[in-house]
Amino acid sequence: MRETWTDILLSSFREVVQRLALAAPRLLATATLILVGWIAAAAARRLTVRVLRAADLDGRCGRWGLTATLRRGGIREAPVTLVGRLVFWMIFVVALLMGIEALEMPATAGLVAVVLRFLPNLLVAALVMVVGWLLANFLAQAVLIGVVNAQVAGAPLIAGAVRWLVLVFAGAAALTQLGIAREMVLLAFGIAFGGTVLALALAFGLGGKELAREILESRLRKPDRDDDELTHV
Amino acid sequence: MGNGIRLEDLLPSPAVTALDAAGPADLLVGLPVLNQVRSITRVVSSVAAGLAKHFSPLKTRVLVVDAGSQDGTLEALRTWRETAPSTPPVQDVRLTGPPQRGRAILTILAAVERLKARGCVLLDADLMSATGSWVDQLLTPLLREEADFVSPAYTRAVSEGTLTTNLLAPWTRALYGKRVQQPVGGCVGLSAGLVDRFLQADIWTSDLAVVGPDLWMTTEALISGARVVETHLGRKIVEASTGQPDLATTVTRVVGSLFRLMERHHAFWEEVRGSVPPPRTGEPAGLLPETGGIQVERMVRAFRLGLKDLLPVWEQIMPEETLTRLYPLGLLAVEEFQLPPALWARVVCDFALAFQERRLSRDHLLRALTPLYLGRVAGFLLEAQATPAARLPVILETIDRAFEEEKDRLRARWR
Repeated sequence: MRETWTDILLSSFREVVQRLALAAPRLLATATLILVGWIAAAAARRLTVRVLRAADLDGRCGRWGLTATLRRGGIREAPVTLVGRLVFWMIFVVALLMGIEALEMPATAGLVAVVLRFLPNLLVAALVMVVGWLLANFLAQAVLIGVVNAQVAGAPLIAGAVRWLVLVFAGAAALTQLGIAREMVLLAFGIAFGGTVLALALAFGLGGKELAREILESRLRKPDRDDDELTHV
Repeated sequence: MGNGIRLEDLLPSPAVTALDAAGPADLLVGLPVLNQVRSITRVVSSVAAGLAKHFSPLKTRVLVVDAGSQDGTLEALRTWRETAPSTPPVQDVRLTGPPQRGRAILTILAAVERLKARGCVLLDADLMSATGSWVDQLLTPLLREEADFVSPAYTRAVSEGTLTTNLLAPWTRALYGKRVQQPVGGCVGLSAGLVDRFLQADIWTSDLAVVGPDLWMTTEALISGARVVETHLGRKIVEASTGQPDLATTVTRVVGSLFRLMERHHAFWEEVRGSVPPPRTGEPAGLLPETGGIQVERMVRAFRLGLKDLLPVWEQIMPEETLTRLYPLGLLAVEEFQLPPALWARVVCDFALAFQERRLSRDHLLRALTPLYLGRVAGFLLEAQATPAARLPVILETIDRAFEEEKDRLRARWR
């Protein structure tokens, strides 16, 4: 009885040690890949930042208005830092995936292939959202200023509606690109967009008669003698 | 003459040949036109009569350059020419391509060089008050070699040229140190040497050539050390055409040109301290009180609307310190409304800095200035209404000084 218990204990221990010995190279390989990936990513980030600083990317982005656009979107970091961070994470994520693949676990088999296959769609969808967000802000601001200069009340409301229309459109386009419930997204977007336009048309026609008159009057009717009568230059 | 833009680069050969056929000219008056059928014949006949009367021994020429009119401007001119005496010769050219006034001005300058003229006048074809004596006053200082650039000054009512009196002239004075009354005056006299310099400039392919060639020429004359003389021409009456852009577009074009030129000539204006008036000919220009009442309610309402709705945009342009001074103005009654010159100069300075730093789209930024400008004009008109006629120039001097004082802050913050 006692011998049997000792044998079982030893054999279990031996088996665990054998399995660990078998898995150790894989764990070591994973750790090495992650460590090397981290070092390579950090080095690449440092190199990228140096090269871009030498090329005065921050200054150029400032002159092109990109820095100000990012700041308006809540991103306070310099463009060079952002690009450096992007380079770091791209390299590190690839290294991380390679490390997970090296474990050869059934659950992660083919993970790298799946991620890499999905990556282009993800990048395009992210790009669509970024462009949509920039466009939404730009158009909303243009509408806000234009409506105020036309001396029509309710400019923030109109500008907000424009911003959300563009954002919803960009979101639908991004989800379609990702292939997530494509039919449902298209249908939902069509109904929401059409419904919004119809609602706005009805609201403007029925509830906003005065606003419509105000806009048309400010555009078409010549006022008695005010700023339109002045010679400005 | 230098190696700048030549007439052959701008016009097809037959047009150049036609221009050459009339021989060289001592003096040229050029009119860049675009849809000015209602005023073209009146202005050209005044100019031609002035040339014949004041410069008859010299070879003179009138050149009308049409930038692409769609209203029959050139046809009206040609019909008039068939019935009018042909001394001096009146020639015309129609440009192809996009209708840009800057290209018409450039063509006139190139024609001056081609015809080896000693000087020229550039005159807007919508200046209904232009007379023969204007041509005399604009050309004579050039012929006497007393000036390279003859700038106009006008006697105007307080409601006329409010963008000029409240922004363009004081800001030009503060930046470049010369008290020019009309940086964009609708006419100007140029010596051959200055024309040659203009032809060699690199702006003709830039935005400035499209939206602000007149202001560019004035600024270039001021910073180049050219001899600038101002001449008083009397009243300025412009044909009220239907094709005028809306106020926001006018503000965007004029102020945008001013800010672009600030960027371009930063090294120059940074060194300029104070200002001096240019030599003047003729009687001093005056400021006339308003005869009819002007309703400023709509302007004040525009300012209030801007303060209420455009605040998120203004916050990106102006610091809290400036905004704090603007907030109480929204509570003022119409009849006591004012936007003081010092605060107005601060606002313009903040906009100039935000423009230079590209804190937001430049078009948006310039358009966002419109309600503030209307507020300033409302305050200016109310102040002028309450001021005796003899004291009106003091109001302008106060504005000018406010901009000069603001320049130190601009200099310190400009990157």
